[in-house]
Amino acid sequence: MNILPTDRVMPVLSCASLLSFWSLDFLSFQPNRIVPGTGFSADAALGWPWAFCMTALLLFIIAASFTRLRYRHAVQLVCLILLLLQLPLGLAGFSSVQVPDTLPHARTGIASGFWLLLFFAALMLIELQQKMHLSRLKILILLMLPLICLFWVYHTGQIESLALVREYTARSSQFQDALRVHLLLVCGAVGISLLSGFLLVSLMRQWPFIQKFIFGLLNFVQTIPSLALFGLLIAPLGYLASRSEFLQSINVSGIGWAPALIALVAYSLLPISRNIFIALEEVPYAVLESARGMGMSRVQVFLHVRLPLAMPVILEGVRITSIQAIGLTAVAALIGAGGLGSFIFQGLGQAAMDMILLGALPILVMALLADLLFSGLAGLFRNGAKQ
Amino acid sequence: MSNRKRLLFWGLPLFWGMCLFLATLGLPWLEELFRQIAPGHRQVIYSRDSFALLLGNHLLLVGLAALISISLGLASAVFVTRPYGRDFLPLVTQVASMGQTFPPVAVLALAVPLLGFGALPTIMALSLYGLLPIVRNTLVGIHSIDPALLESARGMGMSPLQVLWQVEMPLAANIIIGGIRTSVTINIATAAIGSTIGATTLGDPVISGLVNGNTAYVLQGAILIGLLAVTADSCLDRLQQWVSPRMDSRT
Repeated sequence: MNILPTDRVMPVLSCASLLSFWSLDFLSFQPNRIVPGTGFSADAALGWPWAFCMTALLLFIIAASFTRLRYRHAVQLVCLILLLLQLPLGLAGFSSVQVPDTLPHARTGIASGFWLLLFFAALMLIELQQKMHLSRLKILILLMLPLICLFWVYHTGQIESLALVREYTARSSQFQDALRVHLLLVCGAVGISLLSGFLLVSLMRQWPFIQKFIFGLLNFVQTIPSLALFGLLIAPLGYLASRSEFLQSINVSGIGWAPALIALVAYSLLPISRNIFIALEEVPYAVLESARGMGMSRVQVFLHVRLPLAMPVILEGVRITSIQAIGLTAVAALIGAGGLGSFIFQGLGQAAMDMILLGALPILVMALLADLLFSGLAGLFRNGAKQ
Repeated sequence: MSNRKRLLFWGLPLFWGMCLFLATLGLPWLEELFRQIAPGHRQVIYSRDSFALLLGNHLLLVGLAALISISLGLASAVFVTRPYGRDFLPLVTQVASMGQTFPPVAVLALAVPLLGFGALPTIMALSLYGLLPIVRNTLVGIHSIDPALLESARGMGMSPLQVLWQVEMPLAANIIIGGIRTSVTINIATAAIGSTIGATTLGDPVISGLVNGNTAYVLQGAILIGLLAVTADSCLDRLQQWVSPRMDSRT
């Protein structure tokens, strides 16, 4: 019996894509930064033939799910990648047609139809990944095609009129600074909390009675909203800095990087130390015993047996922590810590939508990449343990 | 449970609730103290809106968002675990766990280009983000039920709806409330940041204090936000505990 069920997920998602593709504005055009943009529907933005090609791809995806072909998911995946390839090309085509040389400040924008199409395409990609049991790495490699295409149209200057690109070019050095600060804060927080997590856990293993207290305290800190914790740190740190020459010399004050880092570490400690604790506890006693029996020293048992076996769970803690820290660092921009959040809040202050995107989109990408990286690493260690 | 035990059980949320209540009404009386913290400012008590109004608004935003995400989250999780929606189960499971990698601030910020400024985009962003932990936990809760139990419920002649309401929901309640707790905790924090996109919340004193360099404002806002979060969290924690033992006595 090999009757493949016709699934309804792909047709539903493609219909939703078609609907947003045809009923909403696809791209938009602004003569300058201040004037509100005018929206263009898909056929007006891309021209009839192109819009029909993309529609045909989506219809093909729908049709493929009603067939009993064994390779229908692969066919759908190819269609989807082809569709995604059209998006950067469409942007480039629209920019070259719409933006006259006489308007140097004109900008093209991405409208809701485009975003929704992208969203549904992402959902279809996730669905196909599940159906075909592909690893996330393979999907990422496939996604490289549209991404390289996007990079190519960017690099050759074909989408320099895109509002997001215009915002970026105007602030490229600021952006790189912000990105560096953001990464530095996240890495610093994760690094410090990883070290202190190990320290805390070894203390807890020494004296089990402090375990409940420490986890209780860390849990309590985790409940306090980020804005409140940042706010609560301003007064005491400001006071300390005003008293100490040394703190002033390393640029510590009530606002800036210092309260941000302290708060980030405070938030990171719970997931990290909880995972380290669980990971080290979960290593089977028999394994440790046999390692000792083989004549390994205590240090060797820890480094060669216990730590590698505990690694997947520890890395899961690092994954949770870095994702959390990436988001919280964005909030830290409010207390002057810099980072990509400063674009978000500046953009909100000036009602400059593209500046908000310039801050928010890299944060999303960073969080996704951190997720991918650490879950991949944890997978490697897990496979290593199996062999 | 005897009265005394019940009081002890709800003691912690009551304590934090009292602290929140007292702070909301009492902060303006601590003017002298705040003058020490922010010397050189003519005004040291945030007065554009009363703290009670800010608290009420904050609660309203979070409450509405929670209402939307609980109803939508439960509905979609139940839909994908029924036979007619099972196609969508892998997708929804994956999206609910992947979506949580998105930082809530970024979601809040992205709501503005799409929906504009104000309270409504805040509620939309909060409910969308709050949906994920609820969907995920409801799915985990429903899947953690022993299939034999469902089979016997069906064998007793229960209709699918009865199985859902009388078996699945009560057994999953503990985990579902855990999801609601996560969702509400995140939303209280995100709603505070919502004051940067034009919603009136307890974040207002903090933001205005940061802009004007008035540490006293920042502190007042931060204390109230912190107390609100701790109160809500301990309430839901107790609710979660209160739901689980009742199940045990029934089985």
